[in-house]
Order: sequence, then structure tokens, then C-alpha cells
Amino acid sequence: MNEATILSGGVRAEPGMRVYNQKLGMWVFLASEVMFFTSLIGAYIILRFGTDAWALPGIPLEEGGTPLAINLTAFNTFMLICSSVTMVKAFAAIQQGDQKNLRLFLSLTVLLGASFVGIQIVEYMALVREGFLPHCGEHLAALVPNCHLFGSTFYTMTGFHGAHVSIGVLCMIWVTVKAFRGGYTKEDHGGVEVIGLYWHFVDRWGWRWG
Amino acid sequence: MAMETDMESAEGKKPNYYFIWLVLAVLTAVEVALAYFSGMPRAVLIIVLVGLAVWKATLVAMYYMHLKFERLRLIVLATAPLPLAVILILVVLLEYA
Amino acid sequence: MATTEAAAQPRSQDHHGEMSFIRKYIFSTDHKVIGIQFLFTCLFFLAVGGLLAMMVRWQLGFPGQPMPGGGIMPDTMAPGGIVLPEFYNALVTMHATFMIFFAVMPLLVGVYANFLIPLKIGAPDMAFPRLNMMSFWIFVLSGVVMLVSLFVEGGAAAAGWTAYAPLSAVPDYTGVSTGQQLWIISIILFGASSLLGSVNYITTVVNMRAPGMTLFRMPLSIWSLFITAILALLAVPVLAGAVIMLLFDQTIGTTFFLPENGGRPLLWQHLFWFFGHPEVYILILPAMGIVSDILANGSRKPIFGYRSMVYALIAIAFLGWIVWGHHMFQSGMNPLLGASFMVSTMAIAIPSAIKVFNWLGTIWRGNLQFHTPMLNAIAFVALFTIGGLSGIFMASNTVDIFIHDTYFIVAHIHYVLFGGSLFGIFAAIYFWYPKMFGRMMNETWGKVHFALTFTFYNLVFFPMHILGMGGHMRRIYDPNEYEFLQRFQGMNKFISISAFLLFAVQVPFLINFFWSLFKGKKAPDNPWRDNGLEWTVPSPAPHGNFETAPTVYRGPYEFSSPDVEEDFLPQNVPLNGGGGRKVTGDR
Repeated sequence: MNEATILSGGVRAEPGMRVYNQKLGMWVFLASEVMFFTSLIGAYIILRFGTDAWALPGIPLEEGGTPLAINLTAFNTFMLICSSVTMVKAFAAIQQGDQKNLRLFLSLTVLLGASFVGIQIVEYMALVREGFLPHCGEHLAALVPNCHLFGSTFYTMTGFHGAHVSIGVLCMIWVTVKAFRGGYTKEDHGGVEVIGLYWHFVDRWGWRWG
Repeated sequence: MAMETDMESAEGKKPNYYFIWLVLAVLTAVEVALAYFSGMPRAVLIIVLVGLAVWKATLVAMYYMHLKFERLRLIVLATAPLPLAVILILVVLLEYA
Repeated sequence: MATTEAAAQPRSQDHHGEMSFIRKYIFSTDHKVIGIQFLFTCLFFLAVGGLLAMMVRWQLGFPGQPMPGGGIMPDTMAPGGIVLPEFYNALVTMHATFMIFFAVMPLLVGVYANFLIPLKIGAPDMAFPRLNMMSFWIFVLSGVVMLVSLFVEGGAAAAGWTAYAPLSAVPDYTGVSTGQQLWIISIILFGASSLLGSVNYITTVVNMRAPGMTLFRMPLSIWSLFITAILALLAVPVLAGAVIMLLFDQTIGTTFFLPENGGRPLLWQHLFWFFGHPEVYILILPAMGIVSDILANGSRKPIFGYRSMVYALIAIAFLGWIVWGHHMFQSGMNPLLGASFMVSTMAIAIPSAIKVFNWLGTIWRGNLQFHTPMLNAIAFVALFTIGGLSGIFMASNTVDIFIHDTYFIVAHIHYVLFGGSLFGIFAAIYFWYPKMFGRMMNETWGKVHFALTFTFYNLVFFPMHILGMGGHMRRIYDPNEYEFLQRFQGMNKFISISAFLLFAVQVPFLINFFWSLFKGKKAPDNPWRDNGLEWTVPSPAPHGNFETAPTVYRGPYEFSSPDVEEDFLPQNVPLNGGGGRKVTGDR
């Protein structure tokens, strides 16, 4: 991976960014992810400000509130923050060549990420049982202001975020397995850094909307 | 090679990852508290919450993603889409102003 | 150091020959093979898009009459060869979709970004060869989904390529459900393919340039492809997000874009055009870059104002993000926004004019070589200028009230997209064919093809300006239904017949293309006596491109330099203390 300037075939390249290709590629990819989430979050903001009535948190569903459990959501966000710190600790460990801590922190990250996905699925199932769907049945539509839009934006944004976390967890498992096989060294640990960038990016979007 | 020099330059001022974690956790707690207990008007609340979220995202990008220790051109590349995102959202919001 | 002499020696590192056929030609990771794969695929889609256009033109020129040979069409499309109104809507939609997403954009970006970037910057391959291969195969998959959608029950998407909601979001409105959903899925796949490509191009250009190849020594074709990749990287995800929400509206009953439940139809238009306008520049910028290279070569002069060309490209790319509202002047959006979008749109005329003047400055008093690529490049400048000027009409908020949604718009888009991009693509195909396949295309037939295409092209699209000023709406099934359009029937017929001829004169091109693959004259390394790094390697370029990394000493436009006897000076040839060094072109 330390081949920012030496390419395959021993070709020297103009140094450019002075970061290796995979890392630069990940940053470029993340730039495009920002635009993808902009379209979803932008749609939310515009729909949200375009209407007077919007479901409020902390009030029961039938009285025009949202059925979302803020406590659970906050706890989930907290887990993502924790997984961010374990991720960066794993990276810091392998920078020192510390295999033991690399494995420990990577495993912790996988665990936290997987729990996040698990809790989100449980939360979804609870919401669906309550009748809170992306498109609202008629009985709810009569009670909850803009139930349609609220449900649609909620599920779309959290769903795509969850999908990104899930993909992150899958990649992280792969990286962890490789770490347990001794695939990363003090000199060569690009994979840990690149997956870390993706992971932190996904965490950034871990905040939810009231 | 480039990466190693990158890291060495960052070595001296490696951030305290746990401290940043604490700040992030506190900010999240503040968000929840505001959502529950503050009597702020809705619009103000949303702006405050967005502000806190941006603060958190900036912390993560600067320290956990090491953007603070990267070269300027990578920082430019990483932040390039943000103005576009802001333009899109602000302009479309004007529809309802 | 790969001097021209070294390039002439036989290659030793040609590992490619040892690979199996499948690894070499089907699932190849070689950027040149992938570029060629894109070329064949896109030419196929270009033909499909053209065929759909012919059916549109038949219906407009000869409304309600059976198409010759149309008896083979299924009854759901054109019973007895007579185009059904529903099928007509699908034709218009799919013609635009195929041409924009599956022909012009990948012909420029898929083919030439892949083929040219590593060769022109002196890299052995792309930064991520396997992602590159994935990008191509996802593109094929997306194209197949789009093709299949033509034949599903209910027909293909019929809400226009812009898929305006709620027309596209409610199946009952167009009578199409599966077709529209397949359209969306295909666009999502296309977005994935485009994303992989963009990540690759940007990383490669930034990180893999040969020693001495500074940013301001890059050919303008590479500059334009680089900037295009950035535009695609940031624009296509917005479309992906928007079509995903549209898919939810279609299938699971959400109402993002449906007014009944608080959704916003204008939101779709904003998101779509926030993607759509940068997309317009994705379609033209690479052609501008390619034409700049070819004009300098054909004039045997350095490009006029190299740096201003680069800055103009950047300016167009940036302004492209803040003008999308000019597509929506008639949508009922905030008038304040309308006025500001008008100003920003007009501002784009400035960098565009800089480019046109620099092209003219380049050919001014040049030692003009009218080879086929040069002819096509000159046509590009002429036709792009016409298209650009008609664009200023539309940019004006008040004029647009009159010409919005008329054939004036159709004329404009075809002047920039066909007259601009497609002539640029023809120029590129003729120009880099020898480097791709090791043989030359037939020059005489190339000129015949150019002359006929140029003539019929103008006969088809210029009268459309007049139709548009006369109030002829676009996307109508039968103009004869409107009394005020009946007087245009003769002109519509004329356009249609010219269009059929335009389609027919592409046959010499295809024959030339395929005949030359096997029987064309063997190409020398540097048939056009050009300076780019790609001409220092044998034709066709070998696997791994360069035997040793080239070192770059200057920009790519040193034609007719007083320092050398020849009228060109390749980028990788050192000058020894100013003493003229003989450089040979044809070997």
C-alpha cells in the first residue's frame, strides 16, 4: 500500500495527492455519498419546512406525535459513537504494530455495529406493529398530521443509513478476519484505514431527526 | 512511503481519541435533553440540533478521519461536495420562503 | 526513459498474450480492452436510440400511416405498423434515455476516459482495474434491463426521460408500471457503474501521472474528462436518491412527489435538474476536450490559450451547479429564483465563448490538415456555437415563456448533443481508431460519411428552430390534430425524410468501422504526427502501455516548434540544449 509513487511494474508516478490510491479512492467515493445523502436529507428538510403540521416527538401517535422511542434512538446513536472510537483505536493500534489491540478493537467495532443494526431492526418491527409504516394506513392518516411524509422520510433516511452500516459491518468482518490471520502490519495496514474512513463517515450520519 | 510520512507528521500531535468520544457523547446527551425538555420554538430547536450535529460531524471528520492532519488538497477534495449540498437545500427552501 | 526509439523496439512484457480468451477480452481488467468493450456496446445502443428516433420521425412526418416494414411490430406497440399513442410516448422517452445514458455519456466517458486517461498521462493502467471491469459489466446489466423494459407488459417508461412526477409516480397516469420501475432500476445500476468509473478516473488522474506530467501539462482531453468525472461523481448520486424515492412512490405507496398527501412535485424537478444540468455538461465537456486536442493537431499549431481553456472548463463545471432552475422557468417556482437562475445561466455564455474563440484562434492561420477527425472537429465548433447561441434564448426567462416545450428546445438540445457531442465522438473514433485497433479507418469513406452526415444533420435539425418558433409543441403524437400546426406538415415530412437519410448514411460509417478492423491499412505508431504519450507506444497499444515510464518534458501542443525540424514535438522527447533533435513520426 505504500505505493503512492511506485506503481505496479516499478513505474514512478507524479506524486499527486501523496496518499495511496485506495485511500484517495475512498475519499472520492465518500464525496459522492455526501451527495446521495444530500438528496435524501434535502428531500426531508424541504418536505418538513413545506408543511405546517408535522408529527411531534414525545407525544403518543394518536395525539399527533411520533411513535419513535427517542431513548432507544439516542442509545443507538451512542453505540455508533462508541464504535467510532473503537475503530480509531484499532487503527492507532496497528500504527504501532500492536496486533492484540487491533484484533480486540476491530472485534468490538463489529460487535457494536452489528448491535446497532440489530436494534434498528427490532425498532422497525415495533413500529410496524404499531401501524407506523412508510405509507400510513387510513386510520393513522386521519389522526397524525402528515403521517405519510413523516413515515416516508423516516424509513427512507434511516433505512439507507442502516443499509450503509450493514455493508460497513460486512466489510468490517472481512477486515477483522484478515486481522486475525495477521494480514496487517505496522507498515502495511491500508485496509484498516480505508474501512475506518467509511465507518466514520457512516457514523456521521448517525444522528436522527426529531 | 507517503502514508508513513503522513502518519509520522501526525504522530507528535495524535489526538486523544477518548476525549473526543466523551465530547461526542455529551453533545448527543445535550441533543436528547433539548428535544425533551427545552421549551424552544420548533424552528429554533431544529436549527440548534442541526448545529450540534454539524459540530459532531466536524469533530469526527477532523480527528477520527484524520482530516486535520491531511494535506490541504485532500481537505479540499473531501469538503468539495458540501457547498453544493448547501446550495441545493437552500435554493429549494427558497421555494417556500 | 521511453524515447521514440525505445518504443519501436519489440515488446517483452506482453503478458496479455498468455491469458485465456475470457480473461483477455470478456472479463478484462485492461483499461484499453474495457474502453473497446464500451465502444462496441455503446455503438449498439446508439443504433437502438437512432431506430427509436426513426419511428418517432415516421409518426410525425406521416401520422397514422403504417411504417414500411412495420408489420413485424407487436400489436401492443404498433398494430399493422401504425404507432399507437402510448407507444409514441414510450418511443420519445426511450430515445432520450438510450441516447443520453447509454450512448453519448458512456461513449465519451466510458470509452475515452478509459482508453485515453492512462495512455495520455503515462500510467500502466487505471488505479482500480477490477472496479473498472465491474463498472463496465454493471453498465451492460443496466442496459439490458433498459432494453428488456421495452418488451414488458404495459410497455416501456412513457413519462419522458425527465420522468416528471407525479406523471411518472402514478402508474395510472401513463398506463405503465413495470416499464417505469425497470427504468428506475436501470438508472440506479447505471449510477453505480458511473460512480465506479468516476472514482477510478479521478484517482488515476490525481495519483498516477508520469513524472513530469504536471496538471498543466495534461492534454485538454484529460482535463475535460477529469472535470467530467467530478461532475458525474457528485451529480449522479442525487439522481439515484431521487429515483429511489420515485420508486417508493410507485411501489410502496409513499408520497414524496405526490401532492395529495403533502408531497412536492417540484421537489422532483429540483432534484432531477440538480443532477440534470451537470449531466448536460457531462455530455459536452469531454467532446470539447477531445476537439481541442484534434484541432491543435489538425492546425499544426499550439492550442490557443491553453490555461484559459482549462479555467473555462472549470468555470463551466462550477456554474453548471447553479443554473438548474432554468429548466423550470415554467414550473411555477419562486420568481426570485427564476431571475437569479437566468443570470447564472447567462454567465455560462462567457466561459463557453472563451472556448469558441480559443478554438478559432487555434485554427486561425494554421497549416490546416483536413483529415476526417479534423473535419468532424470543425463541425463540432460550428454546430456547438449554433446550439450555444440558441441556448441563450432559452436562458432568458421571458423568451422562454414563448419557446418553452416547443421544437426550439428540441433543436437546441440536438445541436449541442448531436452536433456537438456526437461529432466530437466521431472525431475521436476516427482519431484514436489506429491506437485502439492498429489499423486506419478508410479516409475517403470517412470524408463521405462526414459530408453526408453534416448535410442531413442540418437538414433535420435546423428547420426545428422554425417549427418551435411557430409554436410546435414537443412530444405530441399527431401534430395534425391542431389546426395551427397543419401548415407545418410539409416541413415535418421534410425533416422526417432527412432524418431517415441521416440514419441511412451512418451505414458507410459502420461498414468502414468493421471493414477496417480486419482489412484497414496497418497503422504506424503515430499516424497523425501528434505529441501525446499514447502515440509513443505501438499501435495497437500493448498490455501495460509503456515499457518503461515515460518522462514528460512539456505540454501536449508543441506543434511547429522552431526547436525541431519536424512540425511536432512529443511530450516525452528531451531537447538537448536547444539543438534541434530530429524526431521521426511514421515508422
